Amino acid sequence: MVKHLLQEILRRPLGMLCLSVLGLLYACTIFSQFLAPYLPTDQDLEKAYHPPTRIVLKDWRPHVQIYEQVDPAAARYEPVHGETAAISFFAPGREYRLWGLIPAETRLFQVEEPHRIYLLGSDGTGRDVFSRLLYGAQVSLSIGFIGICITMTLGFLLGGVAGYFGGRVDFLAMRLVEFIIAVPSLYLLIALRGALAEHFEPEQMYLVIVIILSLIGWAGAARIIRGMALSLRERPFILASEVMGQSSIKVLFRHFLPNLASYLLVAATLSIPAYILAEAALSFLGLGIQEPGTSWGLMLQQAQELKVFTLNLWWLLTPGAAIFITVITFNVLGDVLRDIVDPRQQMIKR
Amino acid sequence: MFQHNSGTALPSQRTEIPFLLQVILVLLLALAGTGCKGEIPGVERPEYSLPLDVDISSNEPGRYGGIFVTAESQQPRTFNPLVAEDAYSSEAIGRFLNGLTFYHPLKEEVVPELARSWEISEDQKSITMHLRRGVRWSDGEPFTASDVMFTFKALFDERYPNRYQGQYTIAGEPIGYEKIDQYTVRFSTARPYSPFLYVIGFIGILPRHVLYDAYEQGELLQKWSIRTAMHQPGELVGTGPFSIRSFRPGQRILYEPNPHYWRADSKGRRLPYVDYLITRYVQDRNTETVLFVSGQIDVSAITPGDVVGVNRNSELHDYTVHHRGPATGIRFIWFNQKPGTNEQGRPYVEPHKLEWFTNKKFRQAVLYGFNREGLISSVYFGRAELLHSIISPANQRWYNPDVRKYPYDPDRARELLASQGFVYGADGNLLDQYGNAVVVDVYASEGDDITPQILSTFRENMRDLGIRVRVRYLDFGTLVARISRHFEYEAAMMGFTGGADPSGGRAIYLSSGRLHLWNPGQEEPHTEWESRVDQLVYASEETFDPDERVEYVHRMQEIFSEELPLLFLLTPHTYVGLKNKWRNVRIPSMGSVIWNIDELYLEPEH
Repeated sequence: MVKHLLQEILRRPLGMLCLSVLGLLYACTIFSQFLAPYLPTDQDLEKAYHPPTRIVLKDWRPHVQIYEQVDPAAARYEPVHGETAAISFFAPGREYRLWGLIPAETRLFQVEEPHRIYLLGSDGTGRDVFSRLLYGAQVSLSIGFIGICITMTLGFLLGGVAGYFGGRVDFLAMRLVEFIIAVPSLYLLIALRGALAEHFEPEQMYLVIVIILSLIGWAGAARIIRGMALSLRERPFILASEVMGQSSIKVLFRHFLPNLASYLLVAATLSIPAYILAEAALSFLGLGIQEPGTSWGLMLQQAQELKVFTLNLWWLLTPGAAIFITVITFNVLGDVLRDIVDPRQQMIKR
Repeated sequence: MFQHNSGTALPSQRTEIPFLLQVILVLLLALAGTGCKGEIPGVERPEYSLPLDVDISSNEPGRYGGIFVTAESQQPRTFNPLVAEDAYSSEAIGRFLNGLTFYHPLKEEVVPELARSWEISEDQKSITMHLRRGVRWSDGEPFTASDVMFTFKALFDERYPNRYQGQYTIAGEPIGYEKIDQYTVRFSTARPYSPFLYVIGFIGILPRHVLYDAYEQGELLQKWSIRTAMHQPGELVGTGPFSIRSFRPGQRILYEPNPHYWRADSKGRRLPYVDYLITRYVQDRNTETVLFVSGQIDVSAITPGDVVGVNRNSELHDYTVHHRGPATGIRFIWFNQKPGTNEQGRPYVEPHKLEWFTNKKFRQAVLYGFNREGLISSVYFGRAELLHSIISPANQRWYNPDVRKYPYDPDRARELLASQGFVYGADGNLLDQYGNAVVVDVYASEGDDITPQILSTFRENMRDLGIRVRVRYLDFGTLVARISRHFEYEAAMMGFTGGADPSGGRAIYLSSGRLHLWNPGQEEPHTEWESRVDQLVYASEETFDPDERVEYVHRMQEIFSEELPLLFLLTPHTYVGLKNKWRNVRIPSMGSVIWNIDELYLEPEH
């Protein structure tokens, strides 16, 4: 089925585009340690709010332009004429552990110290925005996947069981769902975060937030799945398998799951951007990821100052563009997927 | 053909004109309506005679008129000085209530306010104050010594707990107060207390004739709430330059001149000059700056990072950004040095860590290893300076510039650590003499954009020294509970706003103080240097010789900078934007910019 889906997506230009953009984004995220020239915490206090460095060709090799600060009060930098530093590719640098496991020291590109390459400028303490964007993507892009894994599993289990068994089980499950829906989520988040903040490292807060978000997010999915399960239950093949004595668990996973898969897939694709946006919004409100961690939302939050506009520090807003691209790609992909798996359209085609 | 067409079109147009007209009329009416609402009626200035002891302003005489608009990110929570705890409420109260004395921010000394003059007795334990004669409350009732007596009686009443009770308890005893005659009162203290004249000005004198009934019924704290200001602003009777005309929570407060104010200019005209003073409530500091840059408010504090951007619009809206010098507050990181255990028998600080934290060389090494200079050039755009002392350099009168300083010097830091038995492990981490890795948790409050940048730099700098720092952000309330009640933390970062007289900092300096953060509320000073500080603080409070006081405070600062219980960070420069059309502006280095709002006037061409 996956193969068939992939073929269908690739047949459509929009689907192909979305898939390749997402593939690129996730590849960058997975290899961020290799791609980023610096660690997200590497500071250079001499080069705060540095503009994106220009890349020039010198002796047919790419060099990075060197700048000097002309007005520290306005963070103004001017290129120093003729002074450049060579960019070295696949050169060894400071050691790191790829995915926390494999020791490595090669990076895609870097510049010899003390010069620095800032593809997207630097922030208030001279940290490379490009590197932070890559590392931040690890949080921002994975949060959706972890989130939907939890919500879809819970939603399918509770909704499926409720729909399949009906009666008292259905009643209890649906009241639980209503209870969860009735919880004001923003206040719950603020309260939980306040209560849990002391017990977790800032780096771990990320997981805590995903789990909180998804534990209150599964209720809607459960309701829809329950409705679909209710109608599936009356179908002859389910009745047949019941008559033949298949256990409930087996019916649920053998017959319900494949029939609900198309819905689950589309719903999942469409709810990933919601998680990305939720993380951004929470970090923006100061409830999400915190220093020294990094995420797109946090980077945006740090850019919500007047000086970003008055001094034209536009590169600090690039995380916003990254969020925009990711969310729109996921939404379009979800749309394409829906077209593909929509049974009515399939019927028309046949 | 054209004419024919237009001819046939006419009838239909005719039917439409009235409709269009109606729409326009409605729009016009609506515009006019909003115009009426937005237009502020001219202020009435009834001509009451000036009081006998009127205070004549020494500044150039101005002219009446103009509206002064300010913005604030928070609004007052009460208008009752006995309830007010926050700066925003105090500021609003200060507009309509006066104290007996006033700290003049330019002269840097205490000047008369409702008290006309005073005498200090031989033994320096009693102070006789002569009140201004002929002063009237804003409702026309006379102001007398009974009002002063009533205020102090209410303040020390057990039914009404308030922050002034602690302030006016000197050497364990509340100050004494008695009425000599209608315009004379005498205060007495158990011990000579030189900051007395300064602190006595903190409380705004309350009108006895308005509040006496509520006081008798035990309802004084319920009076003068924000509901009073909303529905009966006339009840807020004071002697200050303004009275409250209307208050809309979340929107604005509108002040009008008090027709009985006790100050006048040299031409005998009663102050203040402005017709109205408006404070708008805005969402945050950024909004305030944007309002100022777009010319909608007259004054605004500007952060170091915004100065260049704000200056770009200065021609368009005719304002100037003034440099005020270093900020008055101090900011610091400190290590918990509290010995002992909590109720469950767990030590507040693990013993081996307590040993590091109580070692002055360790604290000095940490400060040597912190690149504060780099922070100034990056985060603050070079518009800040290192803080070396427990008193900010803004407080020129008391600041001691010759204390021990700790410039960024990582080699010196490593030397100091090595001299105390710290060694480096194989992975570059610092180990103490027993082999424990040096790991410190730092707590800070979230919600400030500068704090994460300072702490991220601190963390990086400490990593270079081999010290692992973990930063945890808490909300402010949780942080305060942790450092002042549970004492279960290793290090934290915080700041204090600065006052003019160092007596305001005694809770920090004294070893028994509530805000002696690293080890608060000691019954006996734990260390030799803390007892030396205690003696200096007491000595400075008992002498009335100003130079001698400064000398004591200077020596106290030397001890703090040597022992370094607080690792001082930096003090940003402060900037304030003010429209050029205002005259008589005198910007002090500390405190409110518009402290002399009663003397400001519009330049003639406006």
